Amino acid sequence: MPVSDIAASDIVETVPSALIILDRNLNITSANRAFYQTFRTSAAETEGCHIYALGNRQWDIPALRTLLESVIPHRASVEGFEVEHDFPTIGQRTMLVNARKIFRPGDHDGFILLAIEDVSEERAARKESNRNWLLTKSIVDTIRDPFVVLENDMTIVTANKAFLTIFGSTEAETRGRRVSELGQHQWDVPALRHLMEKVLPENKPIENFEIEDDFPSLGRRVFNLNARKISQPGNHAHRMLLVFEDITGRKQRERDAQTLTNEISHRIKNNLQIVVGLIAYEIKWTHPVCIPGLKAMQARIGAIAQLYDVISQSSRGRTVAVDAYLREIAKTMSESLLGKQSGIGIAVKAEPLEIDPDRAVPFGLLVNELATNAIKHAFPDGTGHIVLSVEQIGDQIELVVADDGIGMKDKLVAKIPEKRGSDYVAIFVRQLGGTITTASAEGSGTIIKIRLPLLLVSSGGAEPLAA
Amino acid sequence: MAVILVVEDDVFIREIAEVMIQDWGHEILSASDVNEALLHLRSSRPIDALFTDIYLKADIHGGCDLANQAIALRPDLRVLYTTANCVTDKLRGLFADGTHFLRKPYTEDQLQGSIEHLLAA
Repeated sequence: MPVSDIAASDIVETVPSALIILDRNLNITSANRAFYQTFRTSAAETEGCHIYALGNRQWDIPALRTLLESVIPHRASVEGFEVEHDFPTIGQRTMLVNARKIFRPGDHDGFILLAIEDVSEERAARKESNRNWLLTKSIVDTIRDPFVVLENDMTIVTANKAFLTIFGSTEAETRGRRVSELGQHQWDVPALRHLMEKVLPENKPIENFEIEDDFPSLGRRVFNLNARKISQPGNHAHRMLLVFEDITGRKQRERDAQTLTNEISHRIKNNLQIVVGLIAYEIKWTHPVCIPGLKAMQARIGAIAQLYDVISQSSRGRTVAVDAYLREIAKTMSESLLGKQSGIGIAVKAEPLEIDPDRAVPFGLLVNELATNAIKHAFPDGTGHIVLSVEQIGDQIELVVADDGIGMKDKLVAKIPEKRGSDYVAIFVRQLGGTITTASAEGSGTIIKIRLPLLLVSSGGAEPLAA
Repeated sequence: MAVILVVEDDVFIREIAEVMIQDWGHEILSASDVNEALLHLRSSRPIDALFTDIYLKADIHGGCDLANQAIALRPDLRVLYTTANCVTDKLRGLFADGTHFLRKPYTEDQLQGSIEHLLAA
Protein backbone atom coordinates (compact mmCIF):
# COMPACT_ATOMS: atom_id res chain seq x y z
CA MET A 1 0.00 0.00 0.00
CA PRO A 2 1.45 3.39 -0.94
CA VAL A 3 2.22 5.77 1.92
CA SER A 4 -0.13 8.34 0.31
CA ASP A 5 -3.05 5.99 1.02
CA ILE A 6 -2.44 6.06 4.76
CA ALA A 7 -4.56 8.56 6.62
CA ALA A 8 -2.61 11.50 8.05
CA SER A 9 -4.26 10.91 11.43
CA ASP A 10 -2.85 7.33 11.55
CA ILE A 11 0.63 8.64 10.89
CA VAL A 12 0.30 11.34 13.52
CA GLU A 13 -0.81 8.78 16.10
CA THR A 14 2.11 6.43 15.46
CA VAL A 15 5.08 8.81 15.35
CA PRO A 16 7.08 8.77 18.60
CA SER A 17 7.42 12.59 18.76
CA ALA A 18 4.81 14.57 20.66
CA LEU A 19 2.79 16.71 18.23
CA ILE A 20 0.44 19.60 18.97
CA ILE A 21 -1.34 22.01 16.67
CA LEU A 22 -1.93 25.59 17.74
CA ASP A 23 -4.18 28.17 16.19
CA ARG A 24 -3.12 31.76 15.56
CA ASN A 25 -3.94 32.63 19.19
CA LEU A 26 -1.79 29.80 20.46
CA ASN A 27 -4.75 27.73 21.58
CA ILE A 28 -4.27 23.99 21.21
CA THR A 29 -6.57 22.57 18.59
CA SER A 30 -5.28 19.01 18.85
CA ALA A 31 -2.40 16.79 20.05
CA ASN A 32 -1.31 13.22 19.37
CA ARG A 33 -1.07 10.20 21.66
CA ALA A 34 2.69 10.63 22.14
CA PHE A 35 2.06 14.12 23.55
CA TYR A 36 -0.50 12.89 26.07
CA GLN A 37 1.75 10.03 27.14
CA THR A 38 4.91 12.12 27.41
CA PHE A 39 3.30 14.94 29.40
CA ARG A 40 0.81 12.77 31.32
CA THR A 41 -2.26 14.65 30.18
CA SER A 42 -5.40 13.95 28.15
CA ALA A 43 -7.29 15.36 25.14
CA ALA A 44 -9.96 16.80 27.47
CA GLU A 45 -7.40 18.71 29.48
CA THR A 46 -5.54 19.85 26.39
CA GLU A 47 -7.73 20.70 23.42
CA GLY A 48 -8.98 24.31 23.42
CA CYS A 49 -6.55 25.25 26.13
CA HIS A 50 -4.05 28.05 25.59
CA ILE A 51 -0.57 26.63 25.35
CA TYR A 52 0.71 28.70 28.27
CA ALA A 53 -2.24 27.79 30.47
CA LEU A 54 -1.88 24.06 29.81
CA GLY A 55 -1.15 21.84 32.82
CA ASN A 56 -1.15 24.50 35.53
CA ARG A 57 0.92 26.85 33.29
CA GLN A 58 3.80 24.45 33.05
CA TRP A 59 4.24 25.40 29.39
CA ASP A 60 4.58 29.06 30.18
CA ILE A 61 8.27 28.88 29.50
CA PRO A 62 10.31 31.95 28.47
CA ALA A 63 12.17 29.98 25.79
CA LEU A 64 8.89 28.74 24.30
CA ARG A 65 7.43 32.21 24.39
CA THR A 66 10.46 33.43 22.44
CA LEU A 67 9.90 30.72 19.84
CA LEU A 68 6.18 31.23 19.43
CA GLU A 69 6.01 35.01 19.71
CA SER A 70 9.29 36.20 18.22
CA VAL A 71 10.61 33.52 15.89
CA ILE A 72 7.59 31.79 14.34
CA PRO A 73 5.82 34.97 13.16
CA HIS A 74 8.80 35.74 10.94
CA ARG A 75 9.71 32.29 9.69
CA ALA A 76 7.83 29.45 8.04
CA SER A 77 9.59 26.81 10.15
CA VAL A 78 12.08 26.36 12.99
CA GLU A 79 14.05 23.19 13.68
CA GLY A 80 16.02 22.03 16.68
CA PHE A 81 14.89 24.73 19.09
CA GLU A 82 16.04 23.45 22.48
CA VAL A 83 13.89 24.04 25.54
CA GLU A 84 15.11 23.01 28.96
CA HIS A 85 12.50 23.16 31.71
CA ASP A 86 11.49 21.62 35.00
CA PHE A 87 7.98 20.33 34.27
CA PRO A 88 5.88 19.80 37.41
CA THR A 89 4.46 16.54 36.05
CA ILE A 90 7.57 14.93 34.56
CA GLY A 91 10.46 16.82 36.11
CA GLN A 92 13.53 18.35 34.53
CA ARG A 93 13.49 17.77 30.79
CA THR A 94 15.26 18.91 27.65
CA MET A 95 12.90 19.19 24.68
CA LEU A 96 13.84 19.64 21.09
CA VAL A 97 11.08 21.56 19.36
CA ASN A 98 10.47 21.74 15.61
CA ALA A 99 7.79 24.23 14.51
CA ARG A 100 6.12 24.69 11.15
CA LYS A 101 3.34 26.99 9.94
CA ILE A 102 0.51 25.15 8.21
CA PHE A 103 -2.01 26.81 5.94
CA ARG A 104 -5.27 25.29 4.65
CA PRO A 105 -6.59 26.48 1.29
CA GLY A 106 -8.34 29.82 1.82
CA ASP A 107 -7.15 30.07 5.40
CA HIS A 108 -4.78 32.99 5.82
CA ASP A 109 -4.25 32.70 9.55
CA GLY A 110 -2.97 29.17 9.48
CA PHE A 111 -1.88 26.87 12.30
CA ILE A 112 1.38 26.05 14.01
CA LEU A 113 2.50 22.42 14.18
CA LEU A 114 4.88 21.77 17.06
CA ALA A 115 6.85 18.49 17.13
CA ILE A 116 8.36 18.01 20.56
CA GLU A 117 11.04 15.41 21.15
CA ASP A 118 12.23 14.54 24.61
CA VAL A 119 16.04 14.45 24.32
CA SER A 120 16.66 14.55 28.06
CA GLU A 121 18.34 11.14 28.23
CA GLU A 122 20.52 11.83 25.20
CA ARG A 123 21.59 15.20 26.62
CA ALA A 124 22.22 13.65 30.04
CA ALA A 125 24.34 10.95 28.40
CA ARG A 126 26.24 13.60 26.47
CA LYS A 127 26.83 15.58 29.67
CA GLU A 128 27.96 12.43 31.44
CA SER A 129 30.30 11.64 28.55
CA ASN A 130 31.72 15.18 28.68
CA ARG A 131 32.17 14.90 32.44
CA ASN A 132 33.95 11.56 31.98
CA TRP A 133 36.13 13.00 29.25
CA LEU A 134 37.07 15.98 31.45
CA LEU A 135 37.77 13.64 34.37
CA THR A 136 39.89 11.36 32.16
CA LYS A 137 41.70 14.34 30.71
CA SER A 138 42.41 15.80 34.14
CA ILE A 139 43.77 12.43 35.30
CA VAL A 140 45.78 12.06 32.11
CA ASP A 141 47.17 15.56 32.49
CA THR A 142 48.57 14.65 35.90
CA ILE A 143 50.68 11.86 34.33
CA ARG A 144 54.20 13.18 34.24
CA ASP A 145 55.43 11.12 31.29
CA PRO A 146 54.48 12.64 27.95
CA PHE A 147 52.34 10.50 25.70
CA VAL A 148 50.27 10.62 22.55
CA VAL A 149 47.40 8.51 21.26
CA LEU A 150 47.65 7.57 17.61
CA GLU A 151 45.05 6.58 15.05
CA ASN A 152 45.40 3.58 12.79
CA ASP A 153 47.05 5.82 10.18
CA MET A 154 49.71 6.87 12.75
CA THR A 155 48.35 10.39 13.11
CA ILE A 156 48.00 11.87 16.59
CA VAL A 157 44.50 11.97 18.09
CA THR A 158 45.52 13.54 21.36
CA ALA A 159 48.62 14.47 23.32
CA ASN A 160 48.68 14.93 27.07
CA LYS A 161 49.68 18.12 28.86
CA ALA A 162 53.14 16.77 29.73
CA PHE A 163 53.83 16.11 26.04
CA LEU A 164 52.72 19.60 24.99
CA THR A 165 54.67 21.25 27.82
CA ILE A 166 57.90 19.29 27.44
CA PHE A 167 58.07 19.51 23.66
CA GLY A 168 56.80 23.10 23.52
CA SER A 169 53.86 22.31 21.26
CA THR A 170 50.14 23.07 21.17
CA GLU A 171 47.27 20.66 20.76
CA ALA A 172 46.44 22.20 17.37
CA GLU A 173 50.03 21.77 16.17
CA THR A 174 50.05 18.16 17.27
CA ARG A 175 46.63 16.75 16.36
CA GLY A 176 46.42 15.05 12.99
CA ARG A 177 50.18 14.97 12.49
CA ARG A 178 52.45 11.95 12.43
CA VAL A 179 54.98 11.44 15.21
CA SER A 180 57.78 11.43 12.65
CA GLU A 181 56.75 14.96 11.59
CA LEU A 182 56.96 16.44 15.08
CA GLY A 183 59.65 18.84 16.31
CA GLN A 184 62.80 18.62 14.26
CA HIS A 185 61.98 15.08 13.11
CA GLN A 186 63.79 13.57 16.11
CA TRP A 187 61.35 10.66 16.09
CA ASP A 188 61.77 10.02 12.37
CA VAL A 189 63.84 6.88 12.91
CA PRO A 190 63.32 4.02 10.41
CA ALA A 191 63.66 1.31 13.10
CA LEU A 192 61.02 3.04 15.25
CA ARG A 193 58.69 3.48 12.26
CA HIS A 194 59.07 -0.19 11.45
CA LEU A 195 58.17 -1.19 15.03
CA MET A 196 55.23 1.23 15.19
CA GLU A 197 53.76 -0.26 12.05
CA LYS A 198 53.50 -3.62 13.87
CA VAL A 199 51.84 -2.40 17.07
CA LEU A 200 48.25 -2.31 15.80
CA PRO A 201 48.06 -5.00 13.10
CA GLU A 202 50.20 -7.55 14.97
CA ASN A 203 49.50 -6.37 18.54
CA LYS A 204 53.25 -6.18 19.15
CA PRO A 205 54.09 -3.63 21.83
CA ILE A 206 57.24 -1.53 21.65
CA GLU A 207 59.30 -1.68 24.80
CA ASN A 208 62.17 0.62 25.74
CA PHE A 209 63.12 1.89 22.28
CA GLU A 210 65.86 4.35 23.12
CA ILE A 211 66.34 7.62 21.24
CA GLU A 212 69.03 10.15 22.11
CA ASP A 213 69.01 13.52 20.36
CA ASP A 214 69.15 17.28 20.77
CA PHE A 215 65.71 18.78 21.44
CA PRO A 216 64.91 22.50 21.10
CA SER A 217 64.84 24.15 24.55
CA LEU A 218 65.54 20.77 26.19
CA GLY A 219 69.06 20.11 25.01
CA ARG A 220 70.53 16.62 24.76
CA ARG A 221 67.98 14.10 25.99
CA VAL A 222 67.52 10.34 26.05
CA PHE A 223 63.96 9.00 25.77
CA ASN A 224 62.65 5.48 26.16
CA LEU A 225 59.64 4.91 23.91
CA ASN A 226 56.96 2.38 24.82
CA ALA A 227 53.88 1.72 22.71
CA ARG A 228 50.92 -0.59 22.92
CA LYS A 229 47.53 -1.14 21.34
CA ILE A 230 44.54 0.21 23.22
CA SER A 231 40.94 -0.85 22.60
CA GLN A 232 37.57 0.32 23.84
CA PRO A 233 35.00 -2.33 24.77
CA GLY A 234 32.37 -2.53 22.07
CA ASN A 235 34.42 -0.49 19.64
CA HIS A 236 36.31 -2.18 16.83
CA ALA A 237 38.60 0.78 16.22
CA HIS A 238 42.04 0.40 17.83
CA ARG A 239 44.45 3.10 18.78
CA MET A 240 48.05 3.20 19.91
CA LEU A 241 49.34 4.70 23.13
CA LEU A 242 52.91 5.95 22.72
CA VAL A 243 54.67 6.97 25.93
CA PHE A 244 57.91 8.95 26.03
CA GLU A 245 59.95 8.30 29.18
CA ASP A 246 62.75 10.77 29.78
CA ILE A 247 65.66 8.62 31.01
CA THR A 248 68.37 11.27 30.57
CA GLY A 249 69.18 11.41 34.29
CA ARG A 250 69.19 7.65 34.71
CA LYS A 251 71.30 7.22 31.58
CA GLN A 252 73.81 9.78 32.83
CA ARG A 253 74.03 8.00 36.20
CA GLU A 254 74.60 4.69 34.40
CA ARG A 255 77.31 6.27 32.27
CA ASP A 256 78.93 7.85 35.32
CA ALA A 257 78.84 4.50 37.11
CA GLN A 258 80.29 2.78 34.03
CA THR A 259 83.05 5.40 33.80
CA LEU A 260 83.84 4.90 37.48
CA THR A 261 83.81 1.12 37.09
CA ASN A 262 86.13 1.37 34.08
CA GLU A 263 88.43 3.71 35.96
CA ILE A 264 88.61 1.36 38.98
CA SER A 265 89.05 -1.65 36.72
CA HIS A 266 91.83 0.19 34.87
CA ARG A 267 93.64 0.95 38.13
CA ILE A 268 93.21 -2.60 39.46
CA LYS A 269 94.63 -4.08 36.29
CA ASN A 270 97.50 -1.61 36.17
CA ASN A 271 98.29 -2.57 39.78
CA LEU A 272 98.09 -6.24 38.83
CA GLN A 273 100.50 -5.43 35.99
CA ILE A 274 102.90 -4.03 38.61
CA VAL A 275 102.54 -7.26 40.65
CA VAL A 276 103.14 -9.38 37.55
CA GLY A 277 106.15 -7.15 36.74
CA LEU A 278 107.55 -7.58 40.25
CA ILE A 279 107.25 -11.35 39.89
CA ALA A 280 108.96 -11.09 36.48
CA TYR A 281 111.79 -9.25 38.16
CA GLU A 282 112.02 -11.98 40.82
CA ILE A 283 112.13 -14.62 38.10
CA LYS A 284 115.30 -13.04 36.72
CA TRP A 285 117.25 -13.68 39.91
CA THR A 286 115.51 -16.64 41.55
CA HIS A 287 116.59 -20.30 41.53
CA PRO A 288 115.34 -22.11 38.39
CA VAL A 289 113.33 -24.57 40.47
CA CYS A 290 111.09 -21.71 41.65
CA ILE A 291 110.42 -20.29 38.19
CA PRO A 292 107.47 -22.56 37.19
CA GLY A 293 105.66 -21.68 40.42
CA LEU A 294 106.21 -17.96 39.93
CA LYS A 295 105.06 -18.17 36.30
CA ALA A 296 101.94 -20.09 37.36
CA MET A 297 101.31 -17.28 39.85
CA GLN A 298 101.60 -14.73 37.03
CA ALA A 299 99.13 -16.73 34.90
CA ARG A 300 96.56 -16.81 37.72
CA ILE A 301 96.90 -13.08 38.32
CA GLY A 302 96.36 -12.62 34.59
CA ALA A 303 93.27 -14.86 34.77
CA ILE A 304 91.79 -12.76 37.60
CA ALA A 305 92.36 -9.57 35.59
CA GLN A 306 90.77 -11.09 32.50
CA LEU A 307 87.76 -12.23 34.51
CA TYR A 308 87.02 -8.60 35.38
CA ASP A 309 86.70 -7.86 31.67
CA VAL A 310 84.67 -10.98 31.05
CA ILE A 311 82.30 -10.19 33.93
CA SER A 312 81.70 -6.64 32.70
CA GLN A 313 80.95 -7.96 29.20
CA SER A 314 78.58 -10.67 30.50
CA SER A 315 76.87 -8.51 33.11
CA ARG A 316 73.06 -8.25 33.06
CA GLY A 317 72.55 -5.62 35.74
CA ARG A 318 72.77 -7.40 39.08
CA THR A 319 73.73 -10.78 37.66
CA VAL A 320 76.26 -12.26 35.26
CA ALA A 321 75.03 -14.42 32.39
CA VAL A 322 76.76 -17.78 32.79
CA ASP A 323 76.41 -18.79 29.15
CA ALA A 324 78.02 -15.55 27.93
CA TYR A 325 80.56 -15.74 30.78
CA LEU A 326 81.69 -19.27 29.83
CA ARG A 327 81.93 -18.30 26.16
CA GLU A 328 84.10 -15.30 27.07
CA ILE A 329 86.31 -17.47 29.32
CA ALA A 330 86.68 -20.01 26.51
CA LYS A 331 87.51 -17.27 24.01
CA THR A 332 90.04 -15.63 26.34
CA MET A 333 91.75 -18.94 27.13
CA SER A 334 91.87 -19.85 23.45
CA GLU A 335 93.52 -16.53 22.65
CA SER A 336 95.98 -16.51 25.56
CA LEU A 337 96.88 -20.19 25.93
CA LEU A 338 96.18 -21.79 22.55
CA GLY A 339 96.41 -19.31 19.67
CA LYS A 340 94.91 -19.55 16.20
CA GLN A 341 97.08 -22.48 15.04
CA SER A 342 96.24 -24.75 18.00
CA GLY A 343 94.66 -28.16 17.44
CA ILE A 344 92.83 -27.89 20.75
CA GLY A 345 89.33 -26.45 20.72
CA ILE A 346 87.18 -25.22 23.61
CA ALA A 347 83.39 -25.48 23.23
CA VAL A 348 80.64 -24.25 25.55
CA LYS A 349 77.25 -25.83 26.25
CA ALA A 350 75.38 -23.75 28.77
CA GLU A 351 71.79 -23.17 29.77
CA PRO A 352 70.72 -19.52 30.02
CA LEU A 353 71.48 -19.19 33.71
CA GLU A 354 72.69 -16.27 35.75
CA ILE A 355 75.25 -16.04 38.52
CA ASP A 356 75.66 -13.76 41.49
CA PRO A 357 78.50 -11.32 40.61
CA ASP A 358 80.10 -11.88 44.04
CA ARG A 359 80.73 -15.50 43.11
CA ALA A 360 81.57 -14.91 39.47
CA VAL A 361 85.32 -14.56 40.13
CA PRO A 362 85.80 -17.84 42.09
CA PHE A 363 83.50 -19.56 39.57
CA GLY A 364 85.60 -18.19 36.68
CA LEU A 365 88.88 -19.12 38.39
CA LEU A 366 87.55 -22.64 38.95
CA VAL A 367 86.69 -23.02 35.26
CA ASN A 368 90.04 -21.42 34.33
CA GLU A 369 91.96 -23.85 36.57
CA LEU A 370 90.21 -26.96 35.25
CA ALA A 371 90.43 -25.91 31.60
CA THR A 372 94.08 -24.90 31.99
CA ASN A 373 94.85 -28.36 33.45
CA ALA A 374 93.14 -29.97 30.46
CA ILE A 375 95.04 -27.79 27.99
CA LYS A 376 98.38 -28.53 29.69
CA HIS A 377 98.03 -32.25 30.32
CA ALA A 378 95.24 -33.90 28.32
CA PHE A 379 96.64 -33.56 24.83
CA PRO A 380 100.31 -34.56 24.48
CA ASP A 381 99.85 -34.64 20.69
CA GLY A 382 98.39 -31.12 20.70
CA THR A 383 94.91 -31.98 19.41
CA GLY A 384 91.60 -32.51 21.16
CA HIS A 385 88.45 -30.97 22.49
CA ILE A 386 87.43 -29.41 25.77
CA VAL A 387 83.78 -28.81 26.62
CA LEU A 388 82.64 -26.41 29.33
CA SER A 389 79.02 -26.96 30.28
CA VAL A 390 76.58 -25.77 32.90
CA GLU A 391 73.06 -26.96 33.57
CA GLN A 392 70.57 -26.67 36.39
CA ILE A 393 69.66 -30.00 38.03
CA GLY A 394 66.93 -29.58 40.61
CA ASP A 395 68.10 -27.04 43.14
CA GLN A 396 71.72 -27.59 42.17
CA ILE A 397 73.93 -26.50 39.34
CA GLU A 398 76.29 -28.85 37.61
CA LEU A 399 79.46 -27.50 36.07
CA VAL A 400 81.23 -29.99 33.81
CA VAL A 401 84.68 -29.59 32.30
CA ALA A 402 85.27 -32.52 29.96
CA ASP A 403 88.09 -33.37 27.56
CA ASP A 404 88.73 -36.22 25.14
CA GLY A 405 92.42 -36.45 26.01
CA ILE A 406 94.55 -39.12 27.59
CA GLY A 407 92.60 -39.39 30.83
CA MET A 408 93.54 -38.91 34.47
CA LYS A 409 96.04 -41.73 34.95
CA ASP A 410 98.96 -39.88 33.43
CA LYS A 411 97.89 -36.59 34.96
CA LEU A 412 97.89 -38.08 38.45
CA VAL A 413 101.65 -38.43 38.12
CA ALA A 414 101.73 -34.77 38.87
CA LYS A 415 104.56 -32.52 39.73
CA ILE A 416 104.24 -30.12 42.63
CA PRO A 417 102.84 -27.08 40.74
CA GLU A 418 100.09 -29.17 39.14
CA LYS A 419 99.21 -30.62 42.54
CA ARG A 420 98.87 -27.05 43.74
CA GLY A 421 96.50 -26.45 40.81
CA SER A 422 94.31 -29.27 42.09
CA ASP A 423 94.45 -27.71 45.54
CA TYR A 424 93.18 -24.46 44.06
CA VAL A 425 90.28 -26.34 42.44
CA ALA A 426 89.37 -27.81 45.82
CA ILE A 427 89.60 -24.38 47.46
CA PHE A 428 87.35 -22.74 44.83
CA VAL A 429 84.81 -25.58 45.08
CA ARG A 430 84.76 -25.19 48.88
CA GLN A 431 84.44 -21.40 48.50
CA LEU A 432 81.41 -21.95 46.27
CA GLY A 433 79.98 -24.55 48.67
CA GLY A 434 80.06 -27.35 46.10
CA THR A 435 81.24 -30.95 45.71
CA ILE A 436 83.47 -32.44 43.04
CA THR A 437 83.33 -35.79 41.23
CA THR A 438 85.75 -37.04 38.63
CA ALA A 439 85.13 -39.65 35.99
CA SER A 440 87.93 -40.86 33.79
CA ALA A 441 88.96 -43.93 31.90
CA GLU A 442 92.39 -44.20 30.37
CA GLY A 443 92.31 -43.02 26.78
CA SER A 444 88.77 -41.72 26.97
CA GLY A 445 89.41 -38.35 28.45
CA THR A 446 88.54 -36.74 31.75
CA ILE A 447 85.25 -35.45 33.01
CA ILE A 448 85.19 -33.22 36.07
CA LYS A 449 81.71 -32.62 37.49
CA ILE A 450 81.06 -30.07 40.16
CA ARG A 451 77.73 -29.62 41.91
CA LEU A 452 77.10 -26.14 43.27
CA PRO A 453 74.19 -25.49 45.63
CA LEU A 454 71.72 -22.79 44.58
CA LEU A 455 74.52 -20.66 43.33
CA LEU A 456 72.86 -19.72 40.10
CA VAL A 457 69.45 -18.48 39.18
CA SER A 458 67.54 -19.07 35.98
CA SER A 459 67.47 -16.13 33.59
CA GLY A 460 63.81 -15.53 34.43
CA GLY A 461 64.55 -15.03 38.13
CA ALA A 462 64.68 -11.52 39.52
CA GLU A 463 66.86 -12.19 42.52
CA PRO A 464 69.97 -14.36 42.67
CA LEU A 465 69.59 -17.24 45.09
CA ALA A 466 72.12 -17.19 47.85
CA ALA A 467 74.25 -20.23 48.62
CA MET B 1 117.96 -6.44 17.13
CA ALA B 2 115.24 -3.82 16.75
CA VAL B 3 114.62 -0.33 18.08
CA ILE B 4 111.35 -0.23 20.04
CA LEU B 5 109.68 2.94 21.32
CA VAL B 6 107.95 2.15 24.64
CA VAL B 7 105.21 4.63 25.62
CA GLU B 8 103.73 4.13 29.10
CA ASP B 9 102.74 6.72 31.71
CA ASP B 10 103.31 4.40 34.69
CA VAL B 11 107.04 4.61 35.35
CA PHE B 12 107.33 1.23 37.08
CA ILE B 13 105.39 -0.65 34.40
CA ARG B 14 107.40 1.11 31.66
CA GLU B 15 110.78 0.34 33.24
CA ILE B 16 109.94 -3.33 33.86
CA ALA B 17 108.85 -3.63 30.20
CA GLU B 18 112.00 -1.87 29.03
CA VAL B 19 114.24 -4.18 31.10
CA MET B 20 112.48 -7.20 29.59
CA ILE B 21 112.77 -5.91 26.04
CA GLN B 22 116.44 -5.03 26.51
CA ASP B 23 117.08 -8.52 27.88
CA TRP B 24 115.94 -9.91 24.54
CA GLY B 25 118.61 -7.83 22.79
CA HIS B 26 116.51 -4.93 21.53
CA GLU B 27 117.22 -1.24 21.90
CA ILE B 28 114.55 0.88 23.56
CA LEU B 29 113.39 4.48 23.36
CA SER B 30 111.20 5.70 26.18
CA ALA B 31 108.27 8.13 26.50
CA SER B 32 105.53 8.75 29.05
CA ASP B 33 103.01 10.58 26.84
CA VAL B 34 102.07 11.44 23.26
CA ASN B 35 104.23 14.57 23.01
CA GLU B 36 107.38 12.85 24.27
CA ALA B 37 106.75 9.97 21.90
CA LEU B 38 106.27 12.31 18.93
CA LEU B 39 109.66 13.90 19.63
CA HIS B 40 111.26 10.49 19.05
CA LEU B 41 109.08 9.75 16.06
CA ARG B 42 109.89 13.09 14.39
CA SER B 43 113.63 12.55 14.91
CA SER B 44 115.83 10.89 12.33
CA ARG B 45 116.48 7.86 14.55
CA PRO B 46 115.42 4.56 13.09
CA ILE B 47 112.46 3.05 15.01
CA ASP B 48 111.14 -0.41 14.12
CA ALA B 49 108.19 -0.68 16.47
CA LEU B 50 105.95 1.29 18.80
CA PHE B 51 104.73 -0.41 21.99
CA THR B 52 102.18 1.96 23.53
CA ASP B 53 99.69 2.02 26.34
CA ILE B 54 96.31 3.33 25.14
CA TYR B 55 95.26 5.33 28.23
CA LEU B 56 98.09 7.87 28.54
CA LYS B 57 97.78 10.21 31.50
CA ALA B 58 94.42 11.99 31.06
CA ASP B 59 94.12 11.05 27.39
CA ILE B 60 91.79 8.04 27.37
CA HIS B 61 92.64 7.07 23.76
CA GLY B 62 96.05 8.79 23.62
CA GLY B 63 97.81 5.61 22.45
CA CYS B 64 95.39 5.24 19.52
CA ASP B 65 95.91 8.86 18.45
CA LEU B 66 99.66 8.44 18.85
CA ALA B 67 99.68 5.32 16.69
CA ASN B 68 97.78 7.12 13.91
CA GLN B 69 100.23 10.03 13.96
CA ALA B 70 103.19 7.66 14.21
CA ILE B 71 102.06 5.65 11.16
CA ALA B 72 101.49 8.91 9.25
CA LEU B 73 105.10 9.88 10.06
CA ARG B 74 106.55 6.40 9.56
CA PRO B 75 104.28 4.22 7.39
CA ASP B 76 106.36 1.06 7.95
CA LEU B 77 106.21 1.33 11.73
CA ARG B 78 104.89 -1.76 13.55
CA VAL B 79 102.48 -1.02 16.41
CA LEU B 80 101.63 -3.03 19.55
CA TYR B 81 98.92 -1.55 21.80
CA THR B 82 98.37 -2.45 25.43
CA THR B 83 95.74 -1.36 27.94
CA ALA B 84 94.38 -2.16 31.38
CA ASN B 85 90.93 -1.11 30.15
CA CYS B 86 88.27 -3.49 28.95
CA VAL B 87 88.79 -4.03 25.24
CA THR B 88 85.47 -3.46 23.55
CA ASP B 89 84.67 -3.65 19.85
CA LYS B 90 84.42 0.15 19.92
CA LEU B 91 87.99 0.39 21.20
CA ARG B 92 89.21 -2.15 18.64
CA GLY B 93 87.63 0.04 16.00
CA LEU B 94 90.14 2.74 16.90
CA PHE B 95 93.11 0.48 16.20
CA ALA B 96 95.07 1.24 13.04
CA ASP B 97 95.06 -1.49 10.36
CA GLY B 98 97.65 -4.22 10.76
CA THR B 99 98.43 -3.37 14.37
CA HIS B 100 98.65 -5.80 17.30
CA PHE B 101 97.30 -5.83 20.84
CA LEU B 102 98.48 -7.20 24.22
CA ARG B 103 96.12 -7.15 27.21
CA LYS B 104 97.33 -5.98 30.66
CA PRO B 105 98.51 -7.50 32.90
CA TYR B 106 100.98 -9.25 30.59
CA THR B 107 103.71 -11.63 31.65
CA GLU B 108 107.27 -11.60 30.38
CA ASP B 109 106.50 -14.59 28.13
CA GLN B 110 103.40 -12.92 26.70
CA LEU B 111 105.26 -9.69 26.00
CA GLN B 112 108.14 -11.58 24.40
CA GLY B 113 105.71 -13.58 22.24
CA SER B 114 103.91 -10.40 21.17
CA ILE B 115 107.14 -8.53 20.37
CA GLU B 116 108.49 -11.48 18.34
CA HIS B 117 105.20 -11.79 16.49
CA LEU B 118 105.16 -8.03 15.85
CA LEU B 119 108.70 -7.91 14.47
CA ALA B 120 108.15 -11.02 12.33
CA ALA B 121 105.01 -9.54 10.74
